[in-house]
Amino acid sequence: MTGLFSDTFLAALLFGAVTAAIPLLLAGLGEQMSEKAGVLNIGIEGMMIAGAYVGFVCAFYSGSLWVGFLAGAAGGMVVAALMSLLCVRLGLNQIVIGIALTLGLEGLTALLYHFQFSRSYPRLPAAETLAVPLLSDIPLFGPALFRHHLIVYLAVAMVGVMAWLYRRTQFGLNLQAAGDKPAALDVAGIDVIRTRTVAVLFSGGMAGLGGAYLSNVGAGLFIPFITNGAGFLGIVLAMLARGRPIWVLIGAMIFGGCLSMTTAAQVAGVNVPIDVIQMLPFLAVMAMLVLFGRRASLPAALGIPYERGAR
Amino acid sequence: MSKFFGKSMIATLFVALMSGATFAAEVKSIAILTPEEGTDFGWNQQGVDAAKAAAEAAGIEVVVASGLGYGDVRPAMREVAADGASLIIAHASGYATAAPEIAAETNIPVAIVDSPNALKKGLVADYTLSGHQGAYLAGRMAAKMSKAKHVGIVVSGEPPSWNSQSAGFAEGVKAENKDVKITYAVIGPAAYSDAAGGRRVTESVIASGADIIFGQGNGSSFGMLQAVETAKTPDGGKVLFIDVIGDKTSVAKEHLLTSVVWDITPVYTAMINDLKDDTFGTKRYAIGLADNSVKLIKTAQIPDDVWNDIQKVREQIVSGEIKVEPVFEATAVRGLMTDVSAAAQ
Repeated sequence: MTGLFSDTFLAALLFGAVTAAIPLLLAGLGEQMSEKAGVLNIGIEGMMIAGAYVGFVCAFYSGSLWVGFLAGAAGGMVVAALMSLLCVRLGLNQIVIGIALTLGLEGLTALLYHFQFSRSYPRLPAAETLAVPLLSDIPLFGPALFRHHLIVYLAVAMVGVMAWLYRRTQFGLNLQAAGDKPAALDVAGIDVIRTRTVAVLFSGGMAGLGGAYLSNVGAGLFIPFITNGAGFLGIVLAMLARGRPIWVLIGAMIFGGCLSMTTAAQVAGVNVPIDVIQMLPFLAVMAMLVLFGRRASLPAALGIPYERGAR
Repeated sequence: MSKFFGKSMIATLFVALMSGATFAAEVKSIAILTPEEGTDFGWNQQGVDAAKAAAEAAGIEVVVASGLGYGDVRPAMREVAADGASLIIAHASGYATAAPEIAAETNIPVAIVDSPNALKKGLVADYTLSGHQGAYLAGRMAAKMSKAKHVGIVVSGEPPSWNSQSAGFAEGVKAENKDVKITYAVIGPAAYSDAAGGRRVTESVIASGADIIFGQGNGSSFGMLQAVETAKTPDGGKVLFIDVIGDKTSVAKEHLLTSVVWDITPVYTAMINDLKDDTFGTKRYAIGLADNSVKLIKTAQIPDDVWNDIQKVREQIVSGEIKVEPVFEATAVRGLMTDVSAAAQ
């Protein structure tokens, strides 16, 4: 059994953990901003699959992953614009609209894919990786953690950017106020609707980018329903993170790591039913919920449409 | 009295014969409902193509309702029933609950999968199929061709049909060379569309040393294929892929070793005949090597001598000299893999 656990195999597991975590990280960071501003973006799964589809199509035809990433983010933002129109501007139920958008986008992307690619099933070449000097030479961890596509490093860097944004900028304070006391923000002369709209658009862009990463780098192809619930996991991570971006990163890495551990356990022939092994990632998230979720404080006005003058 | 009795008997016989003739005449069309589009080079495509072929051979119409998803298909079933279908083929294990309900409601016969105990004469037939004989051949071939003496099985779920093929493949590998390692990995619970997961898990199995992957995964199998095409074995070698049910030759020429292809046409043809003979729902249907409803495809990756050896094994299976029994239970399949792994060490 030990022969199976070569450096190559362990590096592949760690590499796979990072690859699985990045879409969750991007979606979770986006959802976190939306929730901070008081909008429960249940449609993040739909935005992800829109980004996955548009990102793949643009990367396939342009031959550039970066074009795919930008297009994926734009695709997610277009869906988010619809969500903000219906939920932020018109004040419709955020949960209902979010679910409707997700179902609609799943169907639409499946239909479009069927017409375009269902006879050819095109795939993208392997994504080029960027080796971080010195760090990538560390045995085992180097190839696994420091030889990824540039977008992976940028996604991790976004954690620091978001933390800075929330703690050090006026916009971060506005987001907090839009989620906790939107009326107070309004009194202070800040447009609540605009603040929430920006947050939802950002969440759509991040979810779309996560979807594009999933299809272009994670899978190297698009198939209908490819997100497989990743957007909903992003929502869970955002809620558990208590408004702190670093916890989104930690949660995403734990989930990705557990996914790889399930593979490792199977390859090792661990004498436990595979169903039990496969519960591991979800058990880890539930454990996080029990340990940290009790102290989680969600914005007071989360999910409540803002209407000026309403009591 | 006896005269009256005799006339009654003749009248009864006449009505019985006429009703039989009427029943046969009522098989005018069949409908097939699939969860995904019939262009997936796999389960859905083989089902749709077979339904069309069987209907054409029988001179009846076929209605195809594809891409229906895995949710509630009762409305679609009622619609095809209202359109006059004589038989509804519910081509997904997830439809096995709804279809018998629709059969009872509309009195139109249905065919379902993965429910062998749900037979009901005249109304419900089951066609839980297994390509285990073909998978056994694929296992023999993989063991012959693996340079690393290590092969992998990656699946996106554990439905009975796939379990029997995983077991058949493992038995074939063992029969050919007991020293070949077999690594078995399930992507996740019902991860049929998880292409990224398929790629991630397959890359891990390749990194563990496997150079031939036997993959079963619906949409996620394209992720497996992507992994096989972009990853190399630890010593830099090429990785090959063995597919199931459909023929992906046109989209994966370089890395497709073979595929355990199913032809479901004989099954649907038998169903149509059973409807006409009023024996529908009284027996199970099977596919196998003997009538070529299960077969391996020959690709450029297979040397002629290996292919010839495999054809000899095929003949031994058809003649009964080698027996390959289906194993449908996931626990039994996993136990077999553990045994294989232990034996290999």
